[in-house]
Amino acid sequence: MRYFLLSVLIIFILASSAIAGYREAFEKEFLYKSWGTEEQEINACLGCHSSDIMKPEFQGIPGEWKRSWHYQNNVLCHDCHGGDYKDATMSMSHQRGFVGTPKYADIPGFCGKCHVGILRNYLESGHGKALQATGKGPNCVTCHDSHNIQKASIDIINEGRCTRCHTYERAKIMKQAMFATENKIRDIDNLLENLTLEGMYTGNEKRELFSTQAGFRALFHTIDADLVKKRTDEFMQKLNAIEAKIKASFDELRFRKNFSAFLMLIFIGLGVVVYLLSKTYKD
Amino acid sequence: MRQKIKDGWEERVGLKELIRTKLKEYKVPKGVNIFYTLGIVTLLAYMVQAVSGYFLLIYYIPHPDYAFKSIQDMMNIVPFGWFPRMIHIVVSNLMVVVIILHLVSIFVMLSYKKPRELTWVAGVCLLFITLIFCLSGYLLPWSQRSFWATTIVTNIPTAFPVIGEYIANVLRGGDNVSGITLSRFFALHIAFLPPIFLSIVGFHMFLVRRLGLSTPSFSKSAEGDADGPSFYPYFFLKQVFMIMVFFSVVFFIISFMPTLFIPEAANTPADPLKTPLHIKPEWYFLAPYQMLRIIPNKFFGISMQILLIAIFMLWPFLDTKEEKNILKRPLLIVMLIAALAIWVSLTIWGKRP
Repeated sequence: MRYFLLSVLIIFILASSAIAGYREAFEKEFLYKSWGTEEQEINACLGCHSSDIMKPEFQGIPGEWKRSWHYQNNVLCHDCHGGDYKDATMSMSHQRGFVGTPKYADIPGFCGKCHVGILRNYLESGHGKALQATGKGPNCVTCHDSHNIQKASIDIINEGRCTRCHTYERAKIMKQAMFATENKIRDIDNLLENLTLEGMYTGNEKRELFSTQAGFRALFHTIDADLVKKRTDEFMQKLNAIEAKIKASFDELRFRKNFSAFLMLIFIGLGVVVYLLSKTYKD
Repeated sequence: MRQKIKDGWEERVGLKELIRTKLKEYKVPKGVNIFYTLGIVTLLAYMVQAVSGYFLLIYYIPHPDYAFKSIQDMMNIVPFGWFPRMIHIVVSNLMVVVIILHLVSIFVMLSYKKPRELTWVAGVCLLFITLIFCLSGYLLPWSQRSFWATTIVTNIPTAFPVIGEYIANVLRGGDNVSGITLSRFFALHIAFLPPIFLSIVGFHMFLVRRLGLSTPSFSKSAEGDADGPSFYPYFFLKQVFMIMVFFSVVFFIISFMPTLFIPEAANTPADPLKTPLHIKPEWYFLAPYQMLRIIPNKFFGISMQILLIAIFMLWPFLDTKEEKNILKRPLLIVMLIAALAIWVSLTIWGKRP
């Protein structure tokens, strides 16, 4: 038996080194290719923009994007700029849909390809009208930045940012109108996060929250505090309904924990009884 | 009337006689400890898996469009649907722990020695079938974790020249993990593996009963001496005690660590277009997974693993020394500790991103 296993060992070692040594295809596929770990996708945009051939002012873009909310949600370069990120030679070909950097006035349309509702409300707002009339009003990147886009929150409305263009007074009224609803959205978001960590599937509630939040934030882009106040109740009702579902899930989790703990105590008790019983027998 | 029925039953079935001869008069060796009960705990764990699995089958839909939703409905909508599922998940992991402990204790007590070599081989086979059960089972919820972990595992056979791609394609039913893979793994999990497992369990138990429990090396009795205590109640109560301990641990985990075996990726529906950043196999596959990652030649890595499995399985035939006390075999102690240390290290290493 020993000789048999030794022979098998030798055959395996010889076979693997022979194949690895003489078969080019084998080498290429198995000897050098990283495997068993995550496959690294080739991205021509990131490759060039991170290299020294790129102008220094453009080299930071991949880093900014990797810190962004878009990155966390799998929104890649070509989703906004078009082109073919898998083919370096054709990555910036117009035939492959490359649109490059938009002109200042075209930025809302650029972002609005995905953020449709927000674009509509923005164009109706003072910000949008100013841009359309003069080509110089604030657009999406004025408040949200271009590549380092963070998850939107009420903190974006602040004195430092708004006073770059006008006084803070009106923005403050707007922020106050949104305050309670935004806080509720944040609290529900945290609750959902905790519920997910407890092992509950929260996909449906997350979708409902996202839809409500998107509707509310699209409304904000009208920059009409009266309209926001008027429709706050409607959004609060939706948020309360989501919160009630989450709380019911937490109650359910508590019940499950108590039920299992009860069964655990029963089995511990039975274990003790059996142990004591076994001590009474003398063989 | 009642007595008549009892007598008639006894006359035809002979249950009392069976209990008397097979349980009360059946002697176990002196010095058997609780480690001898791990076999029955494993068998019980398997039965729990079968029963909880039947309940899961009522609601589970083995189709990529419905599998994840059916599991989530079971967890969130079906009254007490979470209960069989949590038991199924926790017991599947503990079953692997118990089988490993069982094998380690058998190794330490050198109970695999002649004439029990085949009992050991059957036990190792049961460990591997349990692992295949786990592998086929965790694709079924069709979550991100199950999808990508299965993608990694079904990629492994491609290391073999010529037949590798064929084996991988048979497993997956195509070039990628898809609905066909789900159907195949589902059939494997509920129809093909159980009869194979039960047949080997039957063979294993037949050998245990036929050859008797091995006498511990530190016992004063000699092998084959029938001077120990009765199976019932002495050893039977030990078994029941360990079963209670096992269930206490199961409910402790469900109650206080419910997410221990359900990471976040297990709660995200499978998305074949989105590769997760860090996907890891289950803890019991981490050591072989890490071993394959650190060996740059894929074919060599897998050949080594097959060889190690062969040595592990056929070890009783390789260890021909007659000494049954491990304390008198320092080289074997060093080897066992080294093997366990390497396994634990690779598992911890494999867990890191």
